[in-house]
Amino acid sequence: MDFNVIIDNLPFLMKGLFTSFQLAFFTIVLSLSLACLIAIGRISNKKYVRYPSAIFVNLLRSNPLILIVFWFFFLVPLITGRPLPAFGSVLIAFVVFFSAYFAEIVRSGIQSVGSMQIKAAQSTGLTYPQTMRLIILPQALKNMLPALVTECVIVFQGTTIAYIIGMREFLHSTSLVAERTIRPIELYLFAALVYLIICFTGTRIATLLEKKE
Amino acid sequence: MSLPLVEIKNLSLKYGNYKALKNINISFFPGKCVVICGPSGSGKSSLLRCVNKLEEFDNGDVIFDGQSLKSAKNISQIRSNIGMVFQHFELYPHLSVLNNITLAPIQVKGLSKKDANFNAMKLLERVGIDDQANKYPAELSGGQQQRAAISRALALEPKLMLFDEPTSALDPEMISEVLKVMRDLADNGMSMLVVTHEMGFAKDVADEVVFMDEGKIIERSSSKSFFENPKSERAKEFINKVLLKI
Ligand SMILES: Nc1ncnc2c1ncn2[C@@H]1O[C@H](COP(=O)(O)OP(=O)(O)OP(=O)(O)O)[C@@H](O)[C@H]1O
Ligand SMILES: [Mg+2]
Repeated sequence: MDFNVIIDNLPFLMKGLFTSFQLAFFTIVLSLSLACLIAIGRISNKKYVRYPSAIFVNLLRSNPLILIVFWFFFLVPLITGRPLPAFGSVLIAFVVFFSAYFAEIVRSGIQSVGSMQIKAAQSTGLTYPQTMRLIILPQALKNMLPALVTECVIVFQGTTIAYIIGMREFLHSTSLVAERTIRPIELYLFAALVYLIICFTGTRIATLLEKKE
Repeated sequence: MSLPLVEIKNLSLKYGNYKALKNINISFFPGKCVVICGPSGSGKSSLLRCVNKLEEFDNGDVIFDGQSLKSAKNISQIRSNIGMVFQHFELYPHLSVLNNITLAPIQVKGLSKKDANFNAMKLLERVGIDDQANKYPAELSGGQQQRAAISRALALEPKLMLFDEPTSALDPEMISEVLKVMRDLADNGMSMLVVTHEMGFAKDVADEVVFMDEGKIIERSSSKSFFENPKSERAKEFINKVLLKI
């Protein structure tokens, strides 16, 4: 075993890791925002809001991520006649896919806050959007934080899917170096260690948050 | 005689197929304290929640201060003129007591933070918990929480206050501190609708008593004649039951 290959190729590998982080970061920020809207739609008392939100969530949750990525990378350009840039198309696919999962977390978070809190807020003249933003979501966020952190770890692991359309995220970068240097054992061990550290840290944070409750 | 502050006309409310309120007609006048009582499930809370349209009623209308709630476009605006106090306080647990009180004045009335804080501190002083302003609701006793909740409702300078069993969740020794605040409000001419089983409060403070059963108003009397000389059998039974329990 010669771990020098890792040190020699560290800048290249770190660039890949940075891409993975970037994809995860933008996915989390965008899909969580979208998820809040979908979750509010899911609990709306208006059928024409509730049903589409429910269909969206269930449709996305019953498809594998890789298929959604295919859709946006290969099939949307066929329909529109224009190719999307790789990062953009993967990001859209990720946001659409993960917003469905985040939406369910947000929804159960909202429902964990008593409905009387909504009545109390509305009795003071707050509108429904103000009530959600200022009273319900902050309380819901606290309740759903462990589940959110866990989902963020899943998003990070999910970034490896971008490999299949040739995006140079961390795993892809690792495999390129592994092929070039013919040192797959060292490199894939290193990759496993990196994923382990990041995901274990995330899971630990989630556990600690859960205990704090 | 002045114009009614609240006019309830042919009001019906259903939860699914269950009729919680059946064709209610009643008016309340400004400056009066009215106690609403009746057995559990008779629709007292439902009626109260219709007055600020927290329940979507399916028939009839509520006119508040001359405005029809049924057709109101600015229901939030109307609600900000009606304070409401809940059995379980419903303070916002993630905000300090002070911020609980200033939230609506800032968000709804557009007050500056400075003015809202100033008003809130005056209210907290009035209910005797200004030293608790920067604590979180969970750090307060039940009686203190309810007084904070009353301050929150008062912060919008409402024309009407609704109380839904404000003392039912309190330990006996804390009930009087909340009732004192309510009595003080009534003495200062606040218009109040109070759902309560505190018959002492109904006797001493209320101008009128409304008795409900099975989603209907059974009788309405001055508080004196309600206790001395109830008109209906059901009210008689109820008074005996409640008074004996205490
Ligand atoms: N959100 C709801 N959904 C379905 N049914 C409800 C709802 N709220 C109240 N009810 C029912 O409507 C009836 C009247 O309820 P309401 O809470 O107005 O009675 P109440 O007089 O306030 O009783 P209590 O003294 O127990 O508070 C009850 O039978 C109750 O079970
Ligand atoms: Mg009730």
